[in-house]
Amino acid sequence: MVPTLVIPYLADALVFLGVLVMTVGVYGAIRMPDTYTKLHAMSKAVFLGVISLCASSAVAGDPAITYRAILIGAFLLVTTPISTFVIARAAFLRGEKMEAPDAVDESGRDLAP
Amino acid sequence: MHEIVFYVAFVWMTVLLVVSAAAVIRLRSTAARILALDMLTLILAALLVLYADANRSSYYMDAALILSLLAFVGTLVLARYHGERKIF
Repeated sequence: MVPTLVIPYLADALVFLGVLVMTVGVYGAIRMPDTYTKLHAMSKAVFLGVISLCASSAVAGDPAITYRAILIGAFLLVTTPISTFVIARAAFLRGEKMEAPDAVDESGRDLAP
Repeated sequence: MHEIVFYVAFVWMTVLLVVSAAAVIRLRSTAARILALDMLTLILAALLVLYADANRSSYYMDAALILSLLAFVGTLVLARYHGERKIF
């Protein structure tokens, strides 16, 4: 078990880590060239940032907060891949062009530049 | 010490919220806009989690849970409507 003296510093470190990872995700939203590459940065990085913040409140809080933080983390773990897949499928069905410099389209619909 | 960490985290998350709202407005492709809207709602839920953590109050965690649930359903509906022009 973690000593009681360390727990607030562990919570602070997890908050710092979560905010850092979410910053990387938001920066990817304005840096990446097209939707297919934006999916990497935004969904995964923001999800991991929320997980880290939930872990911070699960470490520091009382049981009512801990159980809800675990519930939010488990729910996001299930739903984030589904929403990412659905957005990628929508972009593919609408025929959005890939704009990354080394993009390869194997579907035969000629979406790569 | 811990109050300073939470204060800086609040300010920085608010900056991220403003940047992602600007991304929802400024992006050209509709699928990327749906993705940015999902990201904005997740950042809002993270802000609620942070507030519950700072104030030791569990009511804000309920709001964050419902917000992430509604973000999932909204993204699903918007993306399915955008992709194949029907929801069900």
